[in-house]
Amino acid sequence: MSSVLFLNLAWQISTLALVALGLAIVFGKLRIMNMAHGEFVMIGAYAPVITSTLGLPGWLQVPICLVTVGLIAFALERSIIRHLYGRMFDSLLATWGIAILLREVVELVFGRGYQSVTPPIPGTINLFGADYPAYRIAVIAGIILGFGCLYWWNTRSKVATQIKAMVGNPELAQAVGINTARLSAGAFVFGCCTAGLAGLVLAPTIRIEPMMGLDYLIRSFFALVVGGLGSLEGLGIGAGIIAGTQTFIGSVASQTYGYLAVLILSILFLWLKPNGIRSSSR
Amino acid sequence: MVSVLLPASALLAALLLVPELFGDFVAYQIGLYLIYGIAAQGIGFLWGKTGVLPLGQSLFFGIAAYFTAITLRAEGHLIVNLGLAAIALAAITGFAYVLAMLVFRGRNESGPYFSLITLALVMIAEQVAGTATSLTGGFNGMSGFSSLANLDPFGGFYYVIVAATVSVSLVLLLLNKMPVNLIARAVLDNEPRMQLLGFPTHVIKGAAFAFSAMIAALAGGLFASHQGIVTPTSTGFALSAELVILTAVGGRFHVLGPLIGAVVVGWASAELRDSFPYWELLMAVLFILVVLKAPGGIAELIEAAFRRIWPKPANETLPAHAAPSVRFDKSPVPLRFEDVHLQIGVVQILNGVSFETPSVGIVSVIGPNGAGKTSALNTITGNLAVTGGQITLGEHAIHSQPPHQALNSGIGRKRQVPSVFFSLSVAENLSIAMMANRLRLADLFRSSTYQWQSDALKGVLDHPEVPLAKGLNEPVEYLPQGHRQFLEYAMTVAAEPTVLLLDEPCAGLSPDETGLMTTLVQTYQATTKGLVIVIEHDMSIVEAISDKVLVLHLGQVLTFDTYDNVRQNPEVMAVYAGGTK
Amino acid sequence: MTALLDVKSLTGGYQDTNVVFDISFKIEAGSLLGVLGRNGVGKTTLARLVQGSIPSSVGEITLAGQPIRDLPAHARRKLGLGYMPQTAMVFDDLTVHENLHLGHNATPPDRYFDLFPRLAERLKQPAGTMSGGERKILAFVRAMSEDTQLIILDEPSEGVQPENIDRMAECLRERVAKGASVLLCEQNLNMLAKVSDCFLGLDSGRIMMTGTKQTTTREDLSSVLSL
Repeated sequence: MSSVLFLNLAWQISTLALVALGLAIVFGKLRIMNMAHGEFVMIGAYAPVITSTLGLPGWLQVPICLVTVGLIAFALERSIIRHLYGRMFDSLLATWGIAILLREVVELVFGRGYQSVTPPIPGTINLFGADYPAYRIAVIAGIILGFGCLYWWNTRSKVATQIKAMVGNPELAQAVGINTARLSAGAFVFGCCTAGLAGLVLAPTIRIEPMMGLDYLIRSFFALVVGGLGSLEGLGIGAGIIAGTQTFIGSVASQTYGYLAVLILSILFLWLKPNGIRSSSR
Repeated sequence: MVSVLLPASALLAALLLVPELFGDFVAYQIGLYLIYGIAAQGIGFLWGKTGVLPLGQSLFFGIAAYFTAITLRAEGHLIVNLGLAAIALAAITGFAYVLAMLVFRGRNESGPYFSLITLALVMIAEQVAGTATSLTGGFNGMSGFSSLANLDPFGGFYYVIVAATVSVSLVLLLLNKMPVNLIARAVLDNEPRMQLLGFPTHVIKGAAFAFSAMIAALAGGLFASHQGIVTPTSTGFALSAELVILTAVGGRFHVLGPLIGAVVVGWASAELRDSFPYWELLMAVLFILVVLKAPGGIAELIEAAFRRIWPKPANETLPAHAAPSVRFDKSPVPLRFEDVHLQIGVVQILNGVSFETPSVGIVSVIGPNGAGKTSALNTITGNLAVTGGQITLGEHAIHSQPPHQALNSGIGRKRQVPSVFFSLSVAENLSIAMMANRLRLADLFRSSTYQWQSDALKGVLDHPEVPLAKGLNEPVEYLPQGHRQFLEYAMTVAAEPTVLLLDEPCAGLSPDETGLMTTLVQTYQATTKGLVIVIEHDMSIVEAISDKVLVLHLGQVLTFDTYDNVRQNPEVMAVYAGGTK
Repeated sequence: MTALLDVKSLTGGYQDTNVVFDISFKIEAGSLLGVLGRNGVGKTTLARLVQGSIPSSVGEITLAGQPIRDLPAHARRKLGLGYMPQTAMVFDDLTVHENLHLGHNATPPDRYFDLFPRLAERLKQPAGTMSGGERKILAFVRAMSEDTQLIILDEPSEGVQPENIDRMAECLRERVAKGASVLLCEQNLNMLAKVSDCFLGLDSGRIMMTGTKQTTTREDLSSVLSL
C-alpha cells in the first residue's frame, strides 16, 4: 500500500468519525433519527464562506460555525425535537422536514452554486515518503486528539449514564431528579455542533453546496449500523470499515462501486448482525 | 360495501369530469399528479398501516419507467409490451420483498434503518442511471418513444390513468375492510405479541413493502408512457422525498389522502412556484407542521368535517361463528429440558436446567426472585436463545426456533407485564388472537374472519365476572392493568394452545380477581386436557391448582415434585418459605 | 403542626379524562398512609399526580409547607420526594449500581444489601436482565434513598416473593420511625395492614373510606377491595 493511499484512508476515516460523532450522540444516545444531520455538516461548511464574504479574519470561522449551528440546533430542539423523544419514526419525519427547510434557507442565502474555500494551512508535509497537504495532517491529528479527550471525559462523566437513563425511561429519570429538558437540549446541541465542526474542517477539501449533506448523513448512518450504537469504539470501527471500504473500492474501481459496496455491507450487517460489531446494551 | 363503492365511484365521476370541465391541458396536468398520487398511495398503505416509511420509492418508479421506455422504444406489439410489463412488475415486487424481509428479519425495531437503506438505494440508482449511458441515455435521459398503444397523452391516455387510479384505490379500499388491514396495524402496534401469536412479522412487513413497490412501479410505467421522456431524476432522491411529502400532507391513513395531496400540492406548486420564491420553504414548513400537529393530513381534516354532518355509525356486533380448527397437533406431549444453559452477557441465568413435565396437568414454577423462572419461559418460546442443552416438546426440539414458531408447536404464552395491542379495541385484540394459527391466505381477504370465536375464548368472555365483555369496543390504551391481565389471558387461550405458559397471571389482581383467574386457568386445563405451566408466588394458589411444582433456584432445579412433597422439602424451606396475599 | 404532605381538592388524570376527583388528605411526618382500592380506581393516577409525572391544574399539593403542584418531577425529587412506579420501575439498560446512584440518589446503606443480598451480587449487571421481582426490590431500595422525606410507592409487593415483602415492610417501618412519610398504594392486604398508620380507600376516583390503624378492621379493608 502506498503511503498516499494510507494517508488518504486516515483522512477519510478520521473525518467520517468526526462527521458520524454527532449522529452517534443524537441517534445512538437520544434515539432521534436526525435526517438533518448532514445539513448541520453543510451549515458548518458554510462558516468559512461567511467569513470570507464578510471579510472577517479567518480565526472567527470556529466561533461563527459553533454559534450558528448551536443556535439553530437549540431553537429546533426547543421548538420541534423535544416533542419527538421516544417517537423515533416521527423524529425521522420531522427532521427530514427540517433538512429540507435548512437546505432551502441556505440556498436562498448563498445560492445553489458550488462554493470553495482555501485551507487555512497551505503547503505540504513530507510524511512516510509522500508529500501530503499539511492541512489534512493537522486535521487528522486534531481529530485523534479530540477523540482521545472525549474518551477520557466519557469514562469519568455521569452524563452518558444520565442520557441512557433518560432515553430508556424519561419519566423515571425525572423522578430520580434529572432535569431531562436541559439534558436533552444540551446533548442535541452538542451533537449538532460536532457535525458543524466536521463541516468546517472538511470545507477546504470539498465543494460546498446546499445538497451536500445527504451523503454525509448516509455514510454516518452506515458507520453506526456497522460499528454498533452506543460506544466510541464502535463508532471508530464503523467509520474505519465504511470509509476504508469506500476509499479502497473507490480507488481500484469507481466511486459508484465504492458506494454500492458500502450499501451491500450495511444491508448484510442489518440482516446478520443487527446490533453492529460493538453494542453497549446486551 | 357502501364505504368502498361510494368513494370509488365519487373518485371515478370526479376524474371523468375533469376533461369536460377544464379541457385537455388541465387533464394532462392532473394526469401527471395522479401518477404521482398512485405511487404516494402505495407509500400511504405501507406507512399508514405498518409504520414502515419508504424513503426510496422512486427506485421502483424509476426502474419501471426506464423499462417501459426501453420496451416502448422497441415498438413491440401491445400484448407483448403488456406481458413484459407484467413480468417486470413481478420482478420488482419480488426484489422488494426479499430486500425488506432480510432487513426486518434481524430485528423488530429496524424501521428507521430500513428507511435509510431505501434512501441509499435511490441515491445509488440515480448515480447509476446518470452514468450507464448506453442503457439509460445518461443525464439527458431516454426519449423518442410513443406512448402505450399510441394513445395521445393529451387525450386518450388520461383515461388509462383514471382507470389505474380508480383500480388502485378500489383495491386499497377493499383491503381496508379485510383482516389483512387489522393484521398490519397490529404489527405496527406490538410486534413481539404478534410473533407470540404465531405471525411471522418480517414476512408481513416484507409483503406490505413489496405491494407498495408494485404500486410505485405501476405508476412509473404510466409516467414513462405519459411524459415520453425518462431521466435520472425519475429514479432520484428528490422525487422520493416529494412522494413522501405528498403522502404526509394528503393523509397517509386514508386511501384517497395521497391522491388529494398529489393533486393539491401539484396544482399549488404549478401556480406558485414561479411567482412565489419561498414556495419550497413553505412546503418544508407545511410538512413539519403536518408531522407534528396533524399526522392525518388533509384527508383527516376532510373526514372530521364529513363526520360532523354524517356521524360514523356505531360498531354493530356481528354474530360470532365457530372458527376453523388450529393447525398444530393437539395431542398432549411432555415438555423436556435437558441441561439447558442460558447466558446473557456475563450473567449466567440458567445453569443446567433439566426436568420433564407430564403431558397433561398444571405445573407451577416457584422460586426466589431471580431464580430464572421468566427466562425459562423465554427459552421455550424462542425469545431467548439457549447457550447450551436442548428443549423438546414431545419429539420435536424447539429451543432454536424463532418466537413466531412457538404457537405452531402448540405453545401459547402470556407475559409477565401484559402485552396487548394498545392502539386497538378490545374486540380487535381478540380478533387478532382468534386468527392466530388458524388463518389461511384466503381468510386474510374475507371479512367473516372477524367473527371467529373459539370455545376457549367464549368460556372466558361469557364468564359473568370477567370485565371484558362490556367494553368490547373500548380502546385498550386506557384499560387498567388488571383488565389487561384478563385480556391478554383471553388472547392467549383463544388459540387453545396445548401448552399454555402463564407468567404471574395474578400479579396486580385483587384477591377476588385472583380467585377468578385461577378458576379460569383450571377450567381451561380441564376442558382442553393440555399442559399449563404457571409462574406464581402465592402459595395458596400454587397449592390449589398444581399437579406438580417446579422449584428453581439460582438457575437450577431445586426439586420437581408434588406440592406436599415440595412443602416438606428442607432445601426448599431454606430458600423459599412462601406466603399468601 | 402542619402535615408533611397536604393534598387539597386534587383532581386530575390523562389528557382530557380526569381519573381522580376532589381528593384531600394529609400525611404527618413519621406516618404511613396506605391507599387501597380495586384495579382502575385511580391509585396509580393519584400517586403520579402527587409525584409529578402527570401535571395537575386543579387543587393544591404542599410538601413541608411548600406548594409543589406546579413543579416538575425532578424538582420535587430534589425537595425529598422519592418514588417507585408500578411499571417500568428501573432503568433496564443501566446496571444495578448505576440505577442506585443515578440522579439525586445517595448511596443506599449496607442494611439494604444485607436484607436483599441479590442486589449486592448483581451490582454490575444490567437491571433489565433481572427478574420482575428483583427489579421491584431494586426500585424499592432506590426510592428509599436516605435523603427523601416523602416516599411514594406504587404496588411494591407485586411479583415479589413473600419473605422479601416482609423485609420491605420492615424497611418501611424503620424509615417511618425515623420520621419519613410514606404514601403506599397496595392491593396486598397483609402488607397494608402490617405497615399502615392510616388508610385511604378509593373507588371510581373518589375517596370512599378513611381510617386509622385503630379504627379500621381487616373486614373494612377487604370490603374496599371487593366492592
